[in-house]
Amino acid sequence: MENSLFEQPKSRVFTVSQITSLIKTSLENSLPGRVTITGEISGFKRHSSGHCYFDLKDENAVLPCVMWGSDFVKLKFKPENGLAIVGKGHIDVYVPAGKYQFYIDSMMPQGCGALQLAFEQMKKRLEAEGLFRDEHKKPLPKFPFRIGILTSKSGAALSDIVDSIYNRWPVAKLLFYDVPVQGEGAAEKIAAAIKDVNRKNAVLKLDVIIVGRGGGSMEDLWAFNEEIVARAIFASEIPVISAVGHEVDWTIADFVADARASTPTKAGMIAVPDIKEVLQQIDSAGKRIGQDTESILKLSAQRLKTILAAAVFRSPALIVRNREQFLDELENNLPQKAGRLLSAVKLQIETLAAKLIACSPKSVLNRGYSIAKNAITGKVVTSAADVSIGDLMITELANENVIESKVIKK
Amino acid sequence: MAEKKENNDISKLSFEQAIKKLTDIVGKIEDGQISLEQSLTQYEQGMELIKHCRGILQKAEKKIEEISKEKEK
Repeated sequence: MENSLFEQPKSRVFTVSQITSLIKTSLENSLPGRVTITGEISGFKRHSSGHCYFDLKDENAVLPCVMWGSDFVKLKFKPENGLAIVGKGHIDVYVPAGKYQFYIDSMMPQGCGALQLAFEQMKKRLEAEGLFRDEHKKPLPKFPFRIGILTSKSGAALSDIVDSIYNRWPVAKLLFYDVPVQGEGAAEKIAAAIKDVNRKNAVLKLDVIIVGRGGGSMEDLWAFNEEIVARAIFASEIPVISAVGHEVDWTIADFVADARASTPTKAGMIAVPDIKEVLQQIDSAGKRIGQDTESILKLSAQRLKTILAAAVFRSPALIVRNREQFLDELENNLPQKAGRLLSAVKLQIETLAAKLIACSPKSVLNRGYSIAKNAITGKVVTSAADVSIGDLMITELANENVIESKVIKK
Repeated sequence: MAEKKENNDISKLSFEQAIKKLTDIVGKIEDGQISLEQSLTQYEQGMELIKHCRGILQKAEKKIEEISKEKEK
């Protein structure tokens, strides 16, 4: 077939369209309708239209590829540069650009399953975003009395979870929320259920939520690896325990949840305390309080006994008598003591009085001085101007002696 | 008065609060740092708390209620 191109007469001139059309037909005829090609992705671009354009390459060659948006959204994993994939589709010529392209409608990562890769990618992405960090983990309630269980009514997980809780903690009220746990739309419904119970929690009053399902293939468990479920768990105000699949199955939900039960039958171990242990604790608290209070009482009684054993308490009258004697003694000594005190005070007063007298201005009269006063005004005469001729004057002498005189000259 | 009020309130405590209070009381009494009078009040309170906790744990109904069918509230 290849030769047909060259069998054309040399003289013939083709238009670009004609030769391109010929190439297209030639390719279509010579290549199988569907091909499976392996190569490494490079130059990956997703256009705003949703379609994806990239190259597949190996050491020696490059193949331009297209994947339509409608096919791309079906991929669980995210194609990225450097990723080796196996793509299925057909090769055709894209006439306007004059190039042949590999139209891929499905692809698988090479080496591992698509789901495994998708899981790894999601884990890496959400981990980088910090969704798994311990600081976001809410502490589980120690004694949950209202527990929400989000799982499918038809699965075995429900009774496993219920039994595992009631075996340990029969006092909790279990509130069951029926959601599909696998198949189309399951992830969205699980996420919606988590949001729903959070929104209604003022009424529901859930202490904790258990989200889970029994074992199954990775595909069966896939809803618990979906981003929408991870985000709903992360955003939940109510602490979330994941209980998905078997011991070995780890899902994204397990990483985001505040705690993980390795299987639904272990949910009770994680979610609730053992009532026997709690009752024991309460009993022991009661015993300890009783014993300790008793020993405090005994100790107090012992102290009281010691105090009462003191001499004073053995003959209480003695202390009273001792006091009485002391009072008697005081009484006897009082007049004597008081008399001594009184004469001491008297002496002090006399000394003070003598000092005071010595300071009096009149004491100078004893020494021959006298005080002259105007008899009319009563004022002390200190200058001739204080009196007039003919005025009467009083002169005070020592010992209260007074003489009267008349001014005859000044 | 305050003590009395506390005793009345015990019945309203959640299980977790009651257990916490009980543990505190055990600690206080075991420390021996409280007076005889206090220890007697604490003893009474402790016993009330124990009664309250036991009461809660006796209400095992094992009931499962389906909430997914509930209408919007």
